[in-house]
Amino acid sequence: MNQHTVVASKKPESLWDNMKRHWMLYIMILPGVAFFIIFKFIPLMGSVIAFQDFQIFKGLWESPWVGIDNFIYLFQYQDFYEVLRNTAIIASYGLIFSFPAPIILALLFNEVRLLAFKRTFQSLFYLPHFLSWVIVGGLVFELLAMDGIVNAIRGLFGQEAILYMQEEQWFRPIVVLSGIWKEVGWGTIIYLAAITGVNPALYEAAVIDGANRFQQVIFITLPLLFPTILVLFLLNIGNFLELGFDQIFNLLTPMTYSVGDIIETYVYRAGVLQGQYSLTTAIGIFQSVIGFALLWIFNRMARKSEQGLW
Amino acid sequence: MKLSLGEKTFQAFNYTILTVFSITMILPLLQMLAVSFSSPVAADSKQVYLWPIGFTLATWEQIFSNEVLWRSFGITMFVTVVGTLLSLFFTCVTAFPLSRKEFRLRRPIMFVIVLSMIFNAPMIPYFLTVRELGLMNSIWALIIPGLISTFNMIIVRTFFMNIPKELDDAARIDGCHDFRLLFQIYLPLSKPVLATIGLFYAVGYWNTFKSAVLFLQDPNLWPLQMRLRSYFTNPEEIAAVDLLIGTQAFNMTTLKAATIIFATVPILLVYPYLQKYFVKGAVLGSLKE
Repeated sequence: MNQHTVVASKKPESLWDNMKRHWMLYIMILPGVAFFIIFKFIPLMGSVIAFQDFQIFKGLWESPWVGIDNFIYLFQYQDFYEVLRNTAIIASYGLIFSFPAPIILALLFNEVRLLAFKRTFQSLFYLPHFLSWVIVGGLVFELLAMDGIVNAIRGLFGQEAILYMQEEQWFRPIVVLSGIWKEVGWGTIIYLAAITGVNPALYEAAVIDGANRFQQVIFITLPLLFPTILVLFLLNIGNFLELGFDQIFNLLTPMTYSVGDIIETYVYRAGVLQGQYSLTTAIGIFQSVIGFALLWIFNRMARKSEQGLW
Repeated sequence: MKLSLGEKTFQAFNYTILTVFSITMILPLLQMLAVSFSSPVAADSKQVYLWPIGFTLATWEQIFSNEVLWRSFGITMFVTVVGTLLSLFFTCVTAFPLSRKEFRLRRPIMFVIVLSMIFNAPMIPYFLTVRELGLMNSIWALIIPGLISTFNMIIVRTFFMNIPKELDDAARIDGCHDFRLLFQIYLPLSKPVLATIGLFYAVGYWNTFKSAVLFLQDPNLWPLQMRLRSYFTNPEEIAAVDLLIGTQAFNMTTLKAATIIFATVPILLVYPYLQKYFVKGAVLGSLKE
């Protein structure tokens, strides 16, 4: 029996034979494959409605084709530019402020020598990750309300209360800060693991050469962390325009639409609620194309230092 | 080891900063907790910081007797428990063949799955697909479309691939087929990773919001997060109760605080038990492709 299989594997096995021999594996994969086809690929293929005048009662096969009309319309459309600008600005803030935050926090964590402290800090920093954006949004509204704690503190200094959540100038900082608050601790996990992986001999050698702690961070920890940072940056840039729907949706009020309405909240309102299916799908495609283009460009740049994603 | 003055200053600064920030992570929740036990007058005049003022259980009695809220709680519980179990099952069953060298379609299927991570379908075609499947206004819309997370699947697959192959050979000689190999040998060895992704799934299902916004128009089906959201945006939904009873024992502010705690505590209760696993699991999944 055993010998037989050895002989059989000598000549290249056809797919059919492989299926017969390992039919259980093929049965196992079926639900997963069905899942990916139904919920990932059919919707992806369904994006063709961006090139149609899609009507829900006619469906995909009967709706008339309109070529790139939807895209042409899009680029003449005032709302589109506003929403695109908001998305791009908030996403850039994310890259500038939110992306480095866990790196800095991980470096600070790493300097904590007392294990009990380190554990406590980490547990506390992970905590907000487990709250939903509905709850975090609720907390933010409470904290920043007219009679909220932030305004109470302002009052102590004789400042007038501000209705933060309805003021355009405050919306984006609030998005960035609440995002950091919620996810910064969680984001440190990977960086901390990468730091733990650094060979201690490198630090010992540096100490002998007279490097202080700060120099060790700059010349050893950070350079060794760089590949991890780069990979996470690339994964981030591919989803550049895909900000979290939950976060923005739960922080947005009609008063702040002009600065905070992003592609996804707009697509939800105009697409799902008002039924402008084709136009909003065109926006979605535009978003994906930009994301992929950015990923491609940055990956090319990263490959120059031989560290791209592919 | 002797520390220089600069290093001492830095250490002091570091501990201070981390202490301050880590406290701000939990402070808002503690304040909500205090408010939920406070009298409405104290809550509204913002005297309550971390300790209840004018201690009362009235708000919580109101919350616990709110049938609509319990209904949403039940839906969220169902979605979390059933969803997590189904997700774990289908994630493992998909990851296992993809971790086997003898499975010929391993590479093409993996390639296509990773491709689907890079090219996300836009919201509208996704919405239309789920709708065509007849999942509108069904709580299964909160479970089925998110049954397998690609990220979690890859974590499990990586874990499976690192299980020593000698175990396979031993099992094979004993006449073990693939299903038994997965369920009796691989899964028992994978408890840490199952705990990790189980937690990820559970948190995801507990906090499910976008799917509910997209697919559930019938308020009777709303999970906890949707209910909360509607309380926050239309306070009269809780306030109406307030006016009817005409009591001063609780009000909007204290009810809001209590609902926040009500929707948070269950998921926070699981997390300390699983914490020792998830850091390992999260790292495993992200560092190795």
